[in-house]
Amino acid sequence: MNIQFKKGVLEICVLSVLAHKDCYGYELVSEISKRIDISEGTIYPLLHRLKDDGYVTTYLQESAGGPPRKYYQLTENGRKEEHEQRDEWMRFAASVNALLEGKNDAAE
Amino acid sequence: MLQNEQEYIRILRSRLEGTLPREELDDIISDYTEHFTVGKVNGRTDDDLWKSLGSPEDVAREIRVMHLVKKAEDVRSCKNIFHAVIATLGLGLFNLVFVLAPFILLLVMLLVIFIIGVLFTILGPVAFVYSVLQLMELPAFAIWVSPLAGIFISIGMTSLGLLIIIGEYYLARFFYHVAIQYLKWNISVITGTECTA
Repeated sequence: MNIQFKKGVLEICVLSVLAHKDCYGYELVSEISKRIDISEGTIYPLLHRLKDDGYVTTYLQESAGGPPRKYYQLTENGRKEEHEQRDEWMRFAASVNALLEGKNDAAE
Repeated sequence: MLQNEQEYIRILRSRLEGTLPREELDDIISDYTEHFTVGKVNGRTDDDLWKSLGSPEDVAREIRVMHLVKKAEDVRSCKNIFHAVIATLGLGLFNLVFVLAPFILLLVMLLVIFIIGVLFTILGPVAFVYSVLQLMELPAFAIWVSPLAGIFISIGMTSLGLLIIIGEYYLARFFYHVAIQYLKWNISVITGTECTA
């Protein structure tokens, strides 16, 4: 898929993963890169921006046998944003799908 | 060149030093250090982790742009917006068309409006003096139908000129805001990072 296109949806992906559970950086990055092929290094700058915007906060938590890890957590605003962006995405995806299927029907 | 954690962190740090404040830089570096640490705990190699992260130069470029646009948003100044625009150009050649061209067009437009404003403001007093001289029947020929009308027109010109300059100030503020929103959108869609796969 076009890489420009993927970057545009990265934000909603990050918000959505964090809506399910708090994650440390590596965990979040693997969760996303498992499904979407993207340069993993771009996710950290995005997390910093989300933190600046007040959608995400961080806290440190001890890990088994290693230094404490930085966990990312959605704020109240972050949850609202996740809802809004998800609804928006769902509507958009449904419209695109309807269009694409309509086109296929016409071709048959 | 050895593609290991130390080298990745070194490049990232050297590219961001001087742009980002100390605290923010350390925060970002700690993320990437942790990424390498956890990755290696999970059995991945330095080389593999480097490849999937994307080159440190690209990552640093992206962080720089985000930081500079944010700075230009927080502190409005010509210097800050120039830095943000120039950093955005580094994300891809097409930004010459999508960022630099509109930006220059905007600057030229604001400059032209400013010159018009200044011209009107200056022409007012000149016309005023000329009209007064005419009233005193000093110049040999008359430009105005009546010198009295000339006085009113000259006052009108200066007022219009000042209004244009004041309006320009608000126009510039508005465009500054629009430019920042546009740059933010630009960096959220356009990536300076090549996909490795």
